[in-house]
Amino acid sequence: MAESTHCIVNIASPLRSYTGGAAKVNARGATVAEVLADLEQRSKGMRFRIIDEQDRIRPHICLFVGTRRVHSLAEPVVANDELHVICALSGG
Amino acid sequence: MALSGTELARYSRHILLSEIGIGGQERLRAGRVVVVGAGGLGSPALLYLAAAGVGTLGLIDCDSVDLSNLQRQILYDSGDVSQSKTSAAQRRLSGLNPDIAVVAHAVELGPGNARDILDDYDVVIDGSDRLGTRYLVNDACVLLRKPLVSAAIHRFEGQALTYVPGRGPCYRCLFPEPPLDEIPNCAQAGVLGVLPGVLGAVQATEAIKLLLGAGEPLLGRLLTFDALEMRFREFSFQRRPDCPVCGDHPSITRLEESNAATDAEAKVVQRLSAQQLKSMTLRSVDRDRPVIIDVREPSEFETGHLPGAINIPVGELAGRIRQLAPDLTTVFVCRSGKRSEHACRLAARNGLGKVAHLEGGLLAWVESIDSSLPVA
Repeated sequence: MAESTHCIVNIASPLRSYTGGAAKVNARGATVAEVLADLEQRSKGMRFRIIDEQDRIRPHICLFVGTRRVHSLAEPVVANDELHVICALSGG
Repeated sequence: MALSGTELARYSRHILLSEIGIGGQERLRAGRVVVVGAGGLGSPALLYLAAAGVGTLGLIDCDSVDLSNLQRQILYDSGDVSQSKTSAAQRRLSGLNPDIAVVAHAVELGPGNARDILDDYDVVIDGSDRLGTRYLVNDACVLLRKPLVSAAIHRFEGQALTYVPGRGPCYRCLFPEPPLDEIPNCAQAGVLGVLPGVLGAVQATEAIKLLLGAGEPLLGRLLTFDALEMRFREFSFQRRPDCPVCGDHPSITRLEESNAATDAEAKVVQRLSAQQLKSMTLRSVDRDRPVIIDVREPSEFETGHLPGAINIPVGELAGRIRQLAPDLTTVFVCRSGKRSEHACRLAARNGLGKVAHLEGGLLAWVESIDSSLPVA
């Protein structure tokens, strides 16, 4: 397994009720899956809002590491990367 | 027809720009742009497009102006409260620029009318406040091969992207399907009043560029804006070959298909008035009384809730649906009735047979049953 690293997760506005309103949280992990698992430890229920029962990114959610779109949860995350959780918004 | 002396004077600052000039201003005058939703995003977009001299502006909205709209919907003033939005907007835009045509469509955009309305325009701006409408507009634009400038807002955050047929990905390439539960809109989650001003101005800019053929549109780029951080970010995305509407083998080929599930679900939603719910809670036999599930966010629930209500935020409902007893009547409640309606559909889809929701939400309860209940 690759070495676990710290990264910053930017949380979409509709999901911030899981982080006490925080827009950014720190998490550890060498892959997107590990970062989300670490996030779940401190923000219970958050992962289920992002990933479905088949371990797929929910279709109204997009993940980006930096500016690179995430297509697989196995994609790597390196130190100081930012993981952006972006959610379809409805307000107009 | 050449620009008149009045038009040369009105648009002189545009005409000075080499990217516009007299030819570009004439293209704007010949341009036809329709705005879906004359609300927070639609207000600045329509005002700037009218000021810019876009010759024909369509606006689609079936609501009337509410006092709570005036915090951000700058098309309207206090005297417009209770007036139809399309009428009030038509007056304001014609006052700003009497040389343009403003076409009011005072209807709810749906699968049955989207094609007829949108097909009459060159560019579509989506400023709607429902995800269902957002997907409908995207699908219609792909099927009609119309350029679309889409934007959405939530609290302090906004996002925008542009679609041009054959030149880039569509909204579904980014977000293929809407969530089973609705994302709270401005009325439910709150919104910084100036936020739609920023995003609506981005939409107007994009529409003007598309009409002019100038600059680089937001194709394959999601622009996000965080007002608290005062930061714009940009995320690139590609057209998906498996996109259900613009992909190589699309499954959505008619507008009716993309909304069939929604229509079917609408039929199973049972609506209760506040008085009906009150009567049900007073039944003497335990099993006849409903289980009340409050689907608002925890902070809203803490402010005030119905006696005995259980808090399951709508976003958590799918994961906690098995906690609900299928043999008891479940009544979902929220602030205004929107989230509870979605919760009701979600529950019905997951096999719960005895589900209902409080129509008008706790605001209706406060109005007709208990005015002392604090509602956030």
